[in-house]
Amino acid sequence: MAALAFTHQNLLQFTPKLTPSKPKLKSKRTKTRLSIQTLTASPQASFTDQFVLQLADSLEDSLPSSSSPLPLQKLRDDSSEALLSTQWPSRKDESFRFTDTSFIRNSNIKPISHPPESLSFLDDSGDTQFKSLNFIDGFLVDSSFDSSNLPDGVYVGSLSKLSSEGILKRVSGFLGDFEWGDLFWSVNGLGAPDLMVIYVPEGCRVENPIYLKYISVEGGNEGSKKVPLSNPRVFVLVEKGGEIGIVEEFVGKEGSECYWTNSVLEVVVGEGGKVKHSYLQKQSLSAAHIKWTSVRQESTSTYELVEVSTGGKLSRHNVHVQQLGSDTATELTTFHLCVGDQTQDLHSRIVLDHPRGYTQQLHKCIVAHSSGQAVFDGNVKVNRFAQQTDAGQLTRSLLLEPRATVNIKPNLQIIADDVKCSHGAAISDLEDSQLFYFQARGIDLETARKALVFSFGAEVIDRLPYSFVQKQVKDHVKELLQSPR
Amino acid sequence: MAWQIQCTASAPLISPPPSLKPKCLPPHALVFTLPVARSSRFRSTHTPSPRPVAASLSTVESPTSAGGLDDSSKTPLLEVKGLTAVIAETKQEILKGVNLVIHQGEIHAIMGKNGSGKSTFSKVLVGHPDYEVTGGSVVFKGENLLDMEPEERSLAGLFMSFQAPVEIPGVSNIDFLNMAYNARRKKLGEPELGPLEFYAYIYPKLDLVNMKTDFLNRNVNEGFSGGERKRNEILQLAVLGADLAILDEIDSGLDVDALRDVAKAVNGLLTPKNSVLMITHYRRLLEVIKPTCIHIMEDGRIIKTGDSSLAEVLEEKGYIAISAA
Ligand SMILES: Nc1ncnc2c1ncn2[C@@H]1O[C@H](COP(=O)(O)OP(=O)(O)OP(=O)(O)O)[C@@H](O)[C@H]1O
Ligand SMILES: [Mg+2]
Repeated sequence: MAALAFTHQNLLQFTPKLTPSKPKLKSKRTKTRLSIQTLTASPQASFTDQFVLQLADSLEDSLPSSSSPLPLQKLRDDSSEALLSTQWPSRKDESFRFTDTSFIRNSNIKPISHPPESLSFLDDSGDTQFKSLNFIDGFLVDSSFDSSNLPDGVYVGSLSKLSSEGILKRVSGFLGDFEWGDLFWSVNGLGAPDLMVIYVPEGCRVENPIYLKYISVEGGNEGSKKVPLSNPRVFVLVEKGGEIGIVEEFVGKEGSECYWTNSVLEVVVGEGGKVKHSYLQKQSLSAAHIKWTSVRQESTSTYELVEVSTGGKLSRHNVHVQQLGSDTATELTTFHLCVGDQTQDLHSRIVLDHPRGYTQQLHKCIVAHSSGQAVFDGNVKVNRFAQQTDAGQLTRSLLLEPRATVNIKPNLQIIADDVKCSHGAAISDLEDSQLFYFQARGIDLETARKALVFSFGAEVIDRLPYSFVQKQVKDHVKELLQSPR
Repeated sequence: MAWQIQCTASAPLISPPPSLKPKCLPPHALVFTLPVARSSRFRSTHTPSPRPVAASLSTVESPTSAGGLDDSSKTPLLEVKGLTAVIAETKQEILKGVNLVIHQGEIHAIMGKNGSGKSTFSKVLVGHPDYEVTGGSVVFKGENLLDMEPEERSLAGLFMSFQAPVEIPGVSNIDFLNMAYNARRKKLGEPELGPLEFYAYIYPKLDLVNMKTDFLNRNVNEGFSGGERKRNEILQLAVLGADLAILDEIDSGLDVDALRDVAKAVNGLLTPKNSVLMITHYRRLLEVIKPTCIHIMEDGRIIKTGDSSLAEVLEEKGYIAISAA
């Protein structure tokens, strides 16, 4: 019945060539080079990596000495075991082919063992409309959070303070149960000092979004090789028919430059449930930022992610969405911006195994620096039983400087035969005719370029579900595009 | 300037003596298709009166002729001499020596067969990068236009409405207009207008082109119908003002009502000092915006200039009659 109807798996690499500059509009034009290569999977070796062992040791040393709740203990044990047979990723590994993590490896990684003594700087973070829950250097500081106006049965807080046996049991059943993780997944599993739990009971709709703000305070500077590591971890469980919005914002405290945030978010959406996830990555341009988002969706549930990532010297987002039942909807809308010597990487995988699934993915990226790089590996897998699936994937990249690079691997694998699919990948520079239209109305080229570049990302920003978040992100992106580098 | 703009139904304040009439003077003074009561809102009269904001923004600094009646007192606005231009990419010559002088307050029309170079001429004037000027000169308000960047030409008071305006996804019409308007204010050393102030400024102008407010929030030209695009071009002209407005086929694709709206708006923006260069294929536009002169372009040159009667000849006998002449 189901046959291999269509496979689309290729790799596109684009690097604009340096063209001799012609005057006026033309000088900004860049030519793109396209090469399509076939993939070669490298066999996964499984012997112990001394460097990883050392890192695991230092992670264990950094953990609080007090005993942790059982699920967390189990997560650490499993992660520790996984690390024994995990190598530090190299460019030979398919999933790190274009993402060089040696910058982290060659640093002096220092897992952070306690939050900073003074949190006085938090006072000026009262700018957001909603009270945020703060992670400082990976530690949940929930003193500022007022949970009294949450609906009955909703729990938002540390696992160690969770008193409900029922919720604890539900969480234990899911936590860390994930076969797709990599080294960084396990590093977080071992190093997370605590687990934050967001629990929404059956049929409960939480009106206001939960705003999670992750702030990196400890940081080395460019000169020192020291890179403090934090491992915040959050687990979201939305029971049948429940609804919630989660906003995650990652920032570095002003003056904090070199640090590594290695974050994990796990989401389980019960039948008919709905999660709107906004993810804003605004780290320092010298930081390393690695993030996992793992989502399990039961039937008729909805998960919508809108991401805007602008920070980090190295930033990688791994998204894994598994549809576990029929009539399930997944939307990923992402925007990556490189204004400096940065790598922005999105590795996403959406797996559909059941009938009448729906998935839409839009990924846009702008590389505005000659040594900036964007990487996109987007896999949508429509398996044998996922009949009548509607799957779409579109990626658009804007390269604004000679030598700016994108490596994209849009990848729609379809095994079911009765499906509706669309996909596309486009790489472009700004349109001369559009730029001229601005000029013809008296607007100078620089302003015109900025407006057009900004509008490219605005398509994604406009999909953020909260206007106060939209505005804040727009201002941030505008500022980044204004500042010359 | 030898003719007189009049916005009431009464006789012109000054009638030029017949002997001093320039050759291509229209048989009567500027057309007033506007209802009398409305016209004074948009048009400044001969006597000094507060100019509309749009006009005051365009920097008209050339000396005013004191309503002089003889030829020598006319102030040239645009002087094109022997202009040749090629397509930048292929070096194919399109303009083969264009000569044209437009004085302050005059309305000129260019007609000509498809592909004769009319749009190319107007795009070259505003500095479109598809073309390279290979010879000749263009002086606008006493300055060498060809030395200026496209945005400088616009700020200097030159406006062209595109025959086929592009879509700009992701940029809203109001933001675009706001940016363009602020660029002008900046040039004049005036403070820029924020979105709210700008909205207050632009709102009344929508009426002028009969456009609904929701057009402001739509992306520039995105999904606009042909007629809506043309109205949008005129809205931009109304917002920005211009000493010389080049209207490339502003009438094509318009229904009767839209044509009337657009003509009304253009007439409403006329002052004794600013000028219009229209490109059109049809007499019906020339009947609502009356030209001082009509030029016929053929194969990259202006081969004939005359008064509005040329349009009648064209309509009846076609371009053959003109080329043969
Ligand atoms: N960018 C370009 N690339 C190639 N050919 C061009 C370009 N611009 C103009 N041409 C050619 O130059 C000639 C003049 O074109 P133009 O658009 O100026 O004509 P037009 O007089 O405005 O015609 P119409 O009445 O149809 O609008 C045409 O043959 C056209 O194909
Ligand atoms: Mg044309």
